[in-house]
Amino acid sequence: MFEAKLIQGNLIKKIMEGLKDLVTEANFDLSPGGVSLQAMDSSHVALVALMLRGDAFENYRCDRPRSIGMNLVNLSKVLKCAGNDDTMTLKADDTQNNITLVFESQAEDKYAEVQMELMDIDSEHLGIPDNTYDAIVKMPSAQFSQIVKDLSSIGDTVTVSVTKDGITFSTSGDVGTAHITCKQNTSMEKEADHTTVNLEHPVTLTFALRYFVTFAKSTSLSHQMSISLSKELPVMVEYAMGDMGHIRFYLAPKIDDEESMDDS
Amino acid sequence: MEVDVGEAGRSWPRPPLREFDPARDPLVFQQLEVDYTNEGRKAVVRMYGVTEEGNSVCTFVHDFEAYFYIKAPMGFSQDDIDALQAALNAHPVAAGFNVVRIEQEMKSNVWTYQFGQLSPFLKIVVNIPQAVTKFRGVLEGGGVVANGIVLENLTTYESSVLYALRFMIDSGMPGASWVELPAGTYSLVPEGSHQTTCQLEAKVRYDSIINHPPEGRYSMLAPLRILSVDIECAGRKGQFPDPKLDSVIQIASYITVQGQNDAIVKNVLTLNSCAPIVGAVVESFSTERELLLRWRDLMLIADPDVIIGYNICNFDLPYLLERGRTLRIDREFEYWGRQKQSRIRMRDSKFSSKAYGTHEYKEITIDGRIQLDMLLAIQRDHKLSSYSLNSVSAHFLGEQKEDVHHSIITDLQNGNAETRRRLAVYCLKDAYLPQRLVDKLMYMYNYVEMARVTGVPMSYLLTRGQSIKVFSQILRKARSRNFLVPNLKKMGQTDGVAYEGATVLEAKQGFYENPVATLDFASLYPSIMMAHNLCYTTLVPKHRVNELPPGDVETSPSGDTFVRTSRQKGLLPDILEELLAARKRAKADLKIATDPFVKAVMNGRQLALKVSANSVYGFTGATVGKLPCLEISSTVTAYGRQMILQTQEMVTKKYNRSNGLEQDCDVIYGDTDSVMVNFKVKDVKRAMDLGKEAAEYISQTFPKPVKLEFEKVYYPYLLMSKKRYAGLLWTNPNEADKMDTKGIESVRRDNCLLVRQVVTTCLEMILMQRNVAGAVEYVKNTISDLLMNRLDLSLLVVSKGLTQNAETYENKAAHVELAKKMRKRDPATAPGVGDRVAYVIIKAAKGARAYEKAEDPIYALTNNLPIDYQHYLDHHLAQPLTRLFEPILGNNAKELLQGSHTRSISVSTPSAASGGIMRFAKKTATCLGCKTPLVKDSVSPLCGHCQPREAQILTSLLAQVNDLESHFGRLWTQCQACQGSLHQDVLCTSRDCPIFYRRKKVQKDLGEVKVQLARFPDW
Repeated sequence: MFEAKLIQGNLIKKIMEGLKDLVTEANFDLSPGGVSLQAMDSSHVALVALMLRGDAFENYRCDRPRSIGMNLVNLSKVLKCAGNDDTMTLKADDTQNNITLVFESQAEDKYAEVQMELMDIDSEHLGIPDNTYDAIVKMPSAQFSQIVKDLSSIGDTVTVSVTKDGITFSTSGDVGTAHITCKQNTSMEKEADHTTVNLEHPVTLTFALRYFVTFAKSTSLSHQMSISLSKELPVMVEYAMGDMGHIRFYLAPKIDDEESMDDS
Repeated sequence: MEVDVGEAGRSWPRPPLREFDPARDPLVFQQLEVDYTNEGRKAVVRMYGVTEEGNSVCTFVHDFEAYFYIKAPMGFSQDDIDALQAALNAHPVAAGFNVVRIEQEMKSNVWTYQFGQLSPFLKIVVNIPQAVTKFRGVLEGGGVVANGIVLENLTTYESSVLYALRFMIDSGMPGASWVELPAGTYSLVPEGSHQTTCQLEAKVRYDSIINHPPEGRYSMLAPLRILSVDIECAGRKGQFPDPKLDSVIQIASYITVQGQNDAIVKNVLTLNSCAPIVGAVVESFSTERELLLRWRDLMLIADPDVIIGYNICNFDLPYLLERGRTLRIDREFEYWGRQKQSRIRMRDSKFSSKAYGTHEYKEITIDGRIQLDMLLAIQRDHKLSSYSLNSVSAHFLGEQKEDVHHSIITDLQNGNAETRRRLAVYCLKDAYLPQRLVDKLMYMYNYVEMARVTGVPMSYLLTRGQSIKVFSQILRKARSRNFLVPNLKKMGQTDGVAYEGATVLEAKQGFYENPVATLDFASLYPSIMMAHNLCYTTLVPKHRVNELPPGDVETSPSGDTFVRTSRQKGLLPDILEELLAARKRAKADLKIATDPFVKAVMNGRQLALKVSANSVYGFTGATVGKLPCLEISSTVTAYGRQMILQTQEMVTKKYNRSNGLEQDCDVIYGDTDSVMVNFKVKDVKRAMDLGKEAAEYISQTFPKPVKLEFEKVYYPYLLMSKKRYAGLLWTNPNEADKMDTKGIESVRRDNCLLVRQVVTTCLEMILMQRNVAGAVEYVKNTISDLLMNRLDLSLLVVSKGLTQNAETYENKAAHVELAKKMRKRDPATAPGVGDRVAYVIIKAAKGARAYEKAEDPIYALTNNLPIDYQHYLDHHLAQPLTRLFEPILGNNAKELLQGSHTRSISVSTPSAASGGIMRFAKKTATCLGCKTPLVKDSVSPLCGHCQPREAQILTSLLAQVNDLESHFGRLWTQCQACQGSLHQDVLCTSRDCPIFYRRKKVQKDLGEVKVQLARFPDW
């Protein structure tokens, strides 16, 4: 038996925002420790890793580890039944091939129960091993989101370079070229508004911009996000949700003359 | 040229010639090719042929004159005629050409009804055939002045008839017929002074030749010699062989004699040593020069009448010739035609025809030998998904062949005698298969019969379009009835003059589970032309309609007027009547024939007659053709439309309850020449009786020979939309004949095999087994297999031809982009211009364009790229399946594409080599029982929860491995059998072969399962 109750049911909706454009169907791994998901996007250029700790839930019960497959497009449709302030309970019987989602309003005057068929997805379980990075930049999520959105209207690829002073995003396209630099800045009152650069070695890498735009859809999950870069490694874009868990996106850097599919 | 045939060439020569006395023995032979040459200032027709004994003959026909006609101006006197002759001969273009004489003849123009009048025409006889073109140009253009009369911008008549064809028409000689030179009328050329390689050479006057109509013994085929050839070249890596650089390393030749089963020569010439091959003669040479010259000797001694092969016209033959030039031996090499003094000629040419489209090709003239390229022939006559020799053979012969990619041919050549033997076996097979195709598809019979029926030499059938065949018949008929055919000025490409085509009655979609009767008009268009006497010669110009009594003319629904048969019979109806009568006779002969050769001849003939009868209508409508007349073609379709509507009306009026029948009948569909009637009866017999009765009843109302026939009943009948239906066809009430389908996704090449397979199987289950539930189940299982990645990749491969260089395409198309991508990866194996690019659709980033998702199937397979099954479901299967099941299940048809069977999927993991994030991702071990990720460094391949089931999981894995291993073993054996050797590695990478994909896939699956199995600790 698996059962988990979340006061902020809304959180799942936000997570789905960031996921559903990247992955259409995926296995969720349920374990006594929490719920996690690791999936590659269909063009196998990016990988997403989601972790929600059991402690994050109001109630959490998982009798045995289990993988359940879901179609994320269908899941998003189901989540539309939930109000923004509703609590959400997930229930799955070990012997049944479906999952039940219960949405209750805060005032306890509305109760919705939706049952969704699960999928049987046969795929390898993939992950990116933990690494130490040459550069880790923390910055406000909204700022990152704005930068990639602005750049994507100019070019297709973005070159990210980190020096001790800050991080620079550059792109070029038919329109022209653009460079946006964010300097280290810790003067703000709230820590979440700070931009910090933690640098071992300066690093410069190039990526397909449209994936960054997709990653930025998770902005609402957290005020601050981080970008971790190393030569010869995929970039890690992380949105940490405090004690509850995190969502991490990995993206392979572009190599010249390769992966022409990402050019469009 | 004296040739030493040697031991290896013992079987080459033709049968020896018996004693021959021209004064006593007539010379009888089947003529196969007719051409001409100019000897001095005179043209000589050359007829090549073969006698009953198999001896080759070339007859030189003398004294046949070339000529054309113009209409004589009013009051043109003999004096004027002389002046015209003088004026033409004095014209600047006349250098070397002259008008021999001009005769006045009374003739009639075929163009429009001439009110039975003959008018004076001038027959301008010239010295050589080329002069026709010159003087025609003069008279059609600037003109000449004769006795003060200006002759310019005239219409010329019979002036675009090729000289050889002119000769055949005037002697009443059809194509490929038997001719006789009676004893005493001809002379033999002594052997020492032969101009040709033929065994017999005869000279004869054109009017001494006797033509034998193709009947009785003269319907048979002479023992022709057919040579099938294939060459191999040593290409450089990544390049298509170029005759300037790459040598010819092997030539295989197969010679068969028409009517005999076994080849008389199986020969392969190789460069460098080659191990012996059982059943074939291998000759090895140390230089390419010797190799080529030896092949020339083979041609000269074996003296084949027909040269066949696969793609010989565009590859093998031009390559040999150009190679000869590169080696600078062309002065010796290029003489393997039948004329000893004449080289093989080659030029670039273009063949355009409405029916076959435009093809660029090399026109090669080999005097006296017919070339029959099976690739071109099959492309013309059959619609197939792929035209590689491999898949064509698989389709028609049920035989596969090893497909050695041209990039490894050089490696085999550079190996040892054994590897070259391997190549030689492959080369021989490539020569053998075209021969088998010719036999199996009866090409010799069918082409000979087509030549006989339409009266053109055999070589015209392949190198010229449809229209020459009809044109030849019109010329013959016109000549016999004193008509002349004008040389119309080319109208050019006038697409704007489209006329209304055939009618299609609206299809009442549905699944009819009771017999549906089909009423067909037999040979609709020909019979309309006959019934209404439609012809050039019967068309009355609009302004002259009033001059005729109304009873003598008939105005068609399209508003054109033609005279009735009673007044004057048209040429076309005459031709058609003869064709159809001949077909009836051929069919009757076919029925009583017992000899398989006679049967083949008769079948070929009836087919040729049918095709010819049907192409007359098209000829009149071909605006770029020789003699287009839209009045005729639009009248034909107008009558056709009227007749379909009339039939519909009559059936519904007669067969209803008010006339005492069980039910009101319903016309559910009608197209061009057929009407489908649902009499709503349960019994097949009853439906047949009603159908017969209706056909007879309605036929009476149409003029003869239009006949509505009842031929068949469909039961059950699945009508999807117009031009799309399927049904079980019954011609007798006891038992269904077969399944008949139209417009169903089965032949379209941009469909993958999966669609064809699913649709065919569904139709079989629905119609033959009457098992709709089973069909639904089958579809669900197949979709589930697709989603679970259990299907063969070969089922998903789509192919498209690369018609030009990939860089020059303007639009981005899947196969073009893929070709570019493949060139970057490995130019050696990338498809080039003219190749078909095979691809599968793989998953790509969201919003990726379709052309970005195409991938080489073999690359996808080896790198384990996930297939975009949703694409196949949405773009390939959804439409055909919905169409198929909508009439049966109604709205429930959607269930098929969305039900619970779509909820189990398998996503393969791409290999690290395929790039992207896969270079960094690591696989986490998961439980083999329930797929839950395992704790790091877990020794057991199972999670704690699944541990109790360990034995069960292990045995099922073992079973899988065994299963796959034996499967792989079987496939491997199959490929070994196909390559003809059990001791060597399989090299074949045929992208057309389903076994190849299956073998690759099983190999990979096996690897994966073995990895899983290895995770269990050893005991």
